[in-house]
Amino acid sequence: MQLVLQIVANGLLIGGLYALLAVGLTLIFGVLRVVNFAHAEFMMLGMYGAYWLWAIFGLDPYVSVFLITPVIFLLGVAVDRVIIQRSIGKPDVTVVFATLGLSILLQNAALTLWQADIRSVSTFASGSVFVVGGVRLSVAMSVSFAAAMLFALGLWFFLTRTMYGKAIQAVAQNRRAAALMGIDVKRVYLFTYSVAVAAAGAMGVLVAPIFTIFPRVGQTHIVTIFVIVVLGGLGSVPGAVVAALLVGIIRAGAGFLLGTAWGELSYFAVFLLVLVVRPQGFFGRRGAEVYGG
Amino acid sequence: MPIKSASLTSPSGQRIAFAVALVLLLCVPLVIRDIYWLDLGITVLIWASLATAWNISAGFAGGLSLGHAAFFGVGAYTSSLLFLRLGITPWIGVFVGALLAGALGALLGVITFRLKGPFFVLATLAFGIVVHIVNVNWRDLTRGAAGLLLPFRGGPQNMLFPNLWAYWYTGLGLLVLTVGISIAIERSRLGYYLVALREDEDAARSLGVRVVRSKVVAAALSAALAACAGAVYATFIQYIDPDSTTQFELSVQIALVAIVGGMGTTLGPVLGAAIVIPLGEILRARVGGGPALVVYGFLLMVIVLAAPNGAIAGVRLIGRRLRRLMDSGRKADA
Amino acid sequence: MLEVRAVTVDFVGLRAVDHASFTVEKGQIVGLIGPNGAGKTTLFNVVSGLVRPSSGSVMFEGKDLSHLGPADRNRMGIGRTFQVVKPFGGLTVLDNVMVGALTRGQGPAEARETARVTLKRLGLERFTDTVAHSLPLALRKRLEVARALATGPKLMLLDEIMGGLNPTEVNETLSLVQELNAEGLTFLVIEHNMNAIMRIAEKVLVLNQGAVLIEGPPAVVTRDAQVISVYLGEPIESA
Repeated sequence: MQLVLQIVANGLLIGGLYALLAVGLTLIFGVLRVVNFAHAEFMMLGMYGAYWLWAIFGLDPYVSVFLITPVIFLLGVAVDRVIIQRSIGKPDVTVVFATLGLSILLQNAALTLWQADIRSVSTFASGSVFVVGGVRLSVAMSVSFAAAMLFALGLWFFLTRTMYGKAIQAVAQNRRAAALMGIDVKRVYLFTYSVAVAAAGAMGVLVAPIFTIFPRVGQTHIVTIFVIVVLGGLGSVPGAVVAALLVGIIRAGAGFLLGTAWGELSYFAVFLLVLVVRPQGFFGRRGAEVYGG
Repeated sequence: MPIKSASLTSPSGQRIAFAVALVLLLCVPLVIRDIYWLDLGITVLIWASLATAWNISAGFAGGLSLGHAAFFGVGAYTSSLLFLRLGITPWIGVFVGALLAGALGALLGVITFRLKGPFFVLATLAFGIVVHIVNVNWRDLTRGAAGLLLPFRGGPQNMLFPNLWAYWYTGLGLLVLTVGISIAIERSRLGYYLVALREDEDAARSLGVRVVRSKVVAAALSAALAACAGAVYATFIQYIDPDSTTQFELSVQIALVAIVGGMGTTLGPVLGAAIVIPLGEILRARVGGGPALVVYGFLLMVIVLAAPNGAIAGVRLIGRRLRRLMDSGRKADA
Repeated sequence: MLEVRAVTVDFVGLRAVDHASFTVEKGQIVGLIGPNGAGKTTLFNVVSGLVRPSSGSVMFEGKDLSHLGPADRNRMGIGRTFQVVKPFGGLTVLDNVMVGALTRGQGPAEARETARVTLKRLGLERFTDTVAHSLPLALRKRLEVARALATGPKLMLLDEIMGGLNPTEVNETLSLVQELNAEGLTFLVIEHNMNAIMRIAEKVLVLNQGAVLIEGPPAVVTRDAQVISVYLGEPIESA
């Protein structure tokens, strides 16, 4: 029983991290109709930001997160202006491969600048755990989990309760009608993209004390994030959170029972099955998968 | 609506151009003696075939696959394992691999034909990753990350040659096969159906085009040809492992080559291989792997944003300008 | 030839077609009129197989079409055009029409010939090698007809092909329809141009809020008070 609790707790914590990435990715898809293949690269940049500020100035990631997140937000603004806005409404090949190209570029720019060396940040949070009811929880994981849940909750509140949030939802549902209603669609795109990638960057900073840092670290996670986003229903924020926690638990459980590889295989198989049988995911609107553009 | 292809009907001059190109390619090993360049040339031929295979399902039918490395891998592993375990020559193994990959491609086609845009892309991506995970972990069959080494045994009857020029001709044969099939499809009923479906599925169906059948046949052919390229690759390199055959990056690069050259056209993917592969190779040698891939990423972004019809569109434009220039020159002479 | 039996189509929160029933006899030209949103195009989509009805069925030449997709229905002899035109934008006009001819079982060479003949008949031969998306709208509408015609249909569904045409072009289109009809092709025509439809239709169906309001010869329908209130606004002069 203790073991089961421990596995579930580990899974939940990992799932929380995925949630922070998945919420942004699903928001970008829902609003811009763009699959942001470069999403996890912003997390990677956040990790490197945390590493360098720690290595050079001795800044704790829990401090530097407040410096790095705005920088990544600005980077998101630039990327949106230069790449994303130009690809919206274009053929599928442009929409898919522009961000894929960006992902390759960012990964290898990091590889060129900082080499393939595996780096790590060690702070007070790195190794420390606390025990609740016999279950050991990593401090750093718990902090990032809390941040993820706060962000998701805040986003949900923002989208449903504020005027600007409702404007974003209007754009997600019908960009043409939203434009006719006087909503500045381009600004909504800019804002959505930048906030989403800034969240990915923030997550990178928060997990820096516990995860190793290397140029391709984003790639090891992005496919899992896609799985989550599709399971939750592309475009659905609550769906992404629930699916992220579920995948976290399944991954931890299946990994324990079947070994990492077959555990991974199992959720890819589920992913394919869901795409085929219920492509709108568990929370998505029916028709999104057919509507595509 | 993706890629424009001005006309499926081709001018008769094209046949002559093909013949000239083929003769030139046949002469390459007589002219180029340098091992480095010939080696690079063979790699280009294999990539050109692979991108051409991808283009049949992606360019003609509009299904942007990010899982084609799986078929390449199935081809490479099937022929290599048949050779290693059962002593069956790769000349036969290549066709067994093609059949197996074709069946797998058809299966993927059946389950994904309804999916559009990003959903199709993600489904093929997941499929590719499943095959990769199986490849890495089914150690009894594939030896996993350790890979398979093809011993130099028996020579030409086993598609293993002591000299590079023989590989050049094998690669050329592969390219002629894939491009030939690609042209045949483009001019056939199936080619018209695929392009019609890509441009507007509802209109195509209402004109009597059967969606499932057309897309599945295209997916199977595309997969089978990718597998052929895989088998030839295996005998050329004589060592295969999951990283060099079924990895996600490989699927991306297959798409990249075809897109840079020009999707939806027969010669685009070939041109793409002739540009991308040497460029990557030279950059890797001069400035290292990281910067080479930075250039790849940059190239991919610029092409899809600024010139989604690829390099072939530029070549055609220059060709048209030259012809006009020559025409006006002739008039001036007269 | 075509029998629509109590077809109902429900979209989310909206009944687009409501127990519509009617028949089209071989050799007829039948007009389908009604205000915007009456469900005319949805009904076409049901007949051509793009939309599955929530209930009801469609019979063609005595066979139930319920389990057939659009491609098979076309191969049985139902051709259609789209109100919002759907050309294969990147292909030439000739290639667009060839796709239609190919599905009849012709090989590429033969299909190319059929396509050329069809283009000539519709006065599109000047645009044979033009890329479809660069055609003006009126010609794209004609391309819709050419493409559907090349499939060799027995029943043709025309969805507002006369919108935006000038009077001369309308006359040309009308005589083409009558010509083809004289050769044995049956027509079901959605049209907003009342004058035009009244001139060629043998029977007119009035659709309102998804239901067939009345059907009958044009002269009778125009006089019917209900139609006048629903659709025409005021009585029109007989053309």
